[in-house]
Amino acid sequence: MARILVFSTNNISDPGIDLCGSNHMDYPLGVSVISVPCSSGIDPRWILYALEHGFDGVFVAADGTDCSYLQDCTTRTGKVIREAQELAKGAGLDPRRIKMAAICSVCSEAFQNHMKKFDQALEELRGEGNED
Amino acid sequence: MKTRLQVDCLVVGGGISGMESAITLGDMGFDVLLVEKEASIGGKMILLSKVFPTLDCSSCISTPKMASTYNHPKVTSFTYSEVRSIKRGPNGAFEAKVIKRPTFVDPERCTGCGQCEKVCTVARPDQFNDGLIARRAIYIPFPQAVPKKAVVEKKGVSPCTRSCPAGISVHGMVALVRNGRFDRAYSRHLEDAPFVGSLGHLCPAYCEMKCTQGKKSKIPVGIKGIERALGYWHLKNGGDKTPSKSGEKRFGIVGVGPLALSLAYFLAQKGVRPLIFTQGKRLGGSLLDAVEKGLLPKEILEDDINTILAQGVEQKDSPENTPFDALLEQNGLEGLFIEDPVRAKESERERIFSSPLKLDEPHLLPHIIGVARKISGPIEKFLEKGEYSLPEDAFKGLEGEISIQEPQGHNEELLPEEAQGLASRCLDCAVCSQCHECMKACPANAIDFSMEPEEVSVTTKTIIIATGFSLFDPSKKPLLGYDRLPNVITAMQMDRLLAPTRPYNAVLRPSDGKVPGNIAIVLCAGSRDRTAGNTWCSRICCMYSIKQAQLIMGALPIANVTIYYIDIRAFGKGYEEFFQQAKAMGTNFVKGKVARIEPTANDDLYIYYEDMERKGGLRRQKHDLVVLAVGAMASPQLRKAFMGDDAPDVDEMAFFSQSKGLSEPGVTNIEGVFVAGSATGPRDIPDCVVHANACAAQVASYLKKTEKG
Repeated sequence: MARILVFSTNNISDPGIDLCGSNHMDYPLGVSVISVPCSSGIDPRWILYALEHGFDGVFVAADGTDCSYLQDCTTRTGKVIREAQELAKGAGLDPRRIKMAAICSVCSEAFQNHMKKFDQALEELRGEGNED
Repeated sequence: MKTRLQVDCLVVGGGISGMESAITLGDMGFDVLLVEKEASIGGKMILLSKVFPTLDCSSCISTPKMASTYNHPKVTSFTYSEVRSIKRGPNGAFEAKVIKRPTFVDPERCTGCGQCEKVCTVARPDQFNDGLIARRAIYIPFPQAVPKKAVVEKKGVSPCTRSCPAGISVHGMVALVRNGRFDRAYSRHLEDAPFVGSLGHLCPAYCEMKCTQGKKSKIPVGIKGIERALGYWHLKNGGDKTPSKSGEKRFGIVGVGPLALSLAYFLAQKGVRPLIFTQGKRLGGSLLDAVEKGLLPKEILEDDINTILAQGVEQKDSPENTPFDALLEQNGLEGLFIEDPVRAKESERERIFSSPLKLDEPHLLPHIIGVARKISGPIEKFLEKGEYSLPEDAFKGLEGEISIQEPQGHNEELLPEEAQGLASRCLDCAVCSQCHECMKACPANAIDFSMEPEEVSVTTKTIIIATGFSLFDPSKKPLLGYDRLPNVITAMQMDRLLAPTRPYNAVLRPSDGKVPGNIAIVLCAGSRDRTAGNTWCSRICCMYSIKQAQLIMGALPIANVTIYYIDIRAFGKGYEEFFQQAKAMGTNFVKGKVARIEPTANDDLYIYYEDMERKGGLRRQKHDLVVLAVGAMASPQLRKAFMGDDAPDVDEMAFFSQSKGLSEPGVTNIEGVFVAGSATGPRDIPDCVVHANACAAQVASYLKKTEKG
């Protein structure tokens, strides 16, 4: 089981993730969710910290164009992810362990699919690591 | 608490129209206050499944709009609030009084985690699911709510709780027992008063005399029986006996009766160390007489006394004639209470207290506990500050003869299950039962039952009425059977069954949870109907029904859907195509006015309708679920807030009138008052958005004009 840290947003993606749970839709057990006001405010160093302290992957459930604060939220969050991936590379970690996607307030199925795929991808990455 | 606020525009109603006009005005730089009566903004749109004719996800469009409104730097949003009054001020601006209803949850602390909902003991129909499922008395409106904070629905204090002389939260105890939480019910009782089992035998049960269920059905909730069952439950199961607090200050009590024991109990709870001087007598006083008379089982009384002693109450035997001064000095006491008022007269020293009345009758037990509680407060204050003043009402109603019926021998033991059965008849008069389970469960300590309504005085240059519409109540058409037949539902309920946030995560019919296979949608249920009092076309029903037909066929591929209609009014862009698409998908359209709906076996339904297109005549068709496409009604309640003759005009359908609807949309006959969206008449969502923005433009132009003077 891969341990996945998810950053959600208070108003948009967190209700969608919450709905996934209240509809009893199964997603991998290793997922933990932290909610923030806006995904563009995530510090790339937090992501690196999570990867260095036991998480196999970090998933940012961004608002996409639904963000109520910023019109260019996706661009800014994208920059955060790129910076985090650079930091990860610098620390000798696989940048594929960091992922981002837009999740809307009722996107429970989309979230479930993302988590299943990411969990599988992380397991495969771990397999690759063991072969080296 | 009163606060003042000055804005350019007050928007009443936080639905799609209210939010849209608030955001537009905010973007233009005006200060806006938006007032919403529910605990979340979003109105009806956030509750819908999809919007027609594009089939876009309704909540995916609403949620960002709600978040934008709430987070807008120029828009202040008050949820769970209402506009009480609107008056024209001297300089032409309006003075509005807005009441922020108490939510009993500190919004700064609440994180919306929902732990409170899990432990709440009261269930209510969920207004955000149109009554399809229940929510709790403390609730977060829905997962997408903005703000996502819990609120407590509380309507004063339940009559049972208010009538209890001992100050027991009766409703809370009943609600906990109903949920099978006997340990919590017992400890909740102890938070208010000792002698749980004894009260269950001796109390005259004032609560049952005031019980609303008793007034309705002649048989009140058996509260005394519930209390008695708790006593027996504790006798068998025991429970938490850890002392509440251990204090330094010692206080003596001379006496062994219920007043002495209750006072010792309340003082121990306040962190005082009480010492009871028994003077050779057994603890219990007059309650022992009740045991002799067979009114109270011995073991119940012993259990109650042991519970009191377990709170850290000590007892000591001393000769009966020891002077009180000597008791004080020898035991290092800060004060002394004498239960017997006659003996108390022997000494009149500062540190010696007593009750002016002799209170010892067993059936006065609830009053005695109430008096003990009222005395315990001043004594605690005396021990802290050296002042003692007894509240005047401490002995109210107890002077002179108290004619209370002697308790009849209610001795029979009640099992917990029986008590649960009794408790299930409770009607939850005040909604919140005051069981305080949420307070104990809240990790953020956010629940505060001392909150009071907050009045905000708002000075505003303009007002936008965006109070929307209400849905026709189908119980006003008894032939359609909405009240009688479980499988006749409204269109709003159908939309909830189809929404992504739907209650059962499936389309099921209410009577037995079966997946329906043959669904009827009845159009014009409460529109274009003189007998229902509304002759107008509600504009939205044809299209939302066609939308529902398509969504039902998507969710239940094998289901048949029949729409009974008078005319299909598909007038907008893309609407006709949407109608044709539903036909092509296989929706059965029947031109015929439905007269009545009758039940068959298995809760299926017969629809009787006039066939207007085919062979004609009265026909009958069987379905297993019927959806009533209820019409849109006016919601003109805000008019009451306008004092005097200054209320904006309404049309013959009671919707707010636009005085120049053609040339100046949104303008009413009152200068400075505007109306947006479906408050002017039935409108679909795109029309509401357009109208709300038009209205915002009118407000902006009015504000600019008056600025220049």
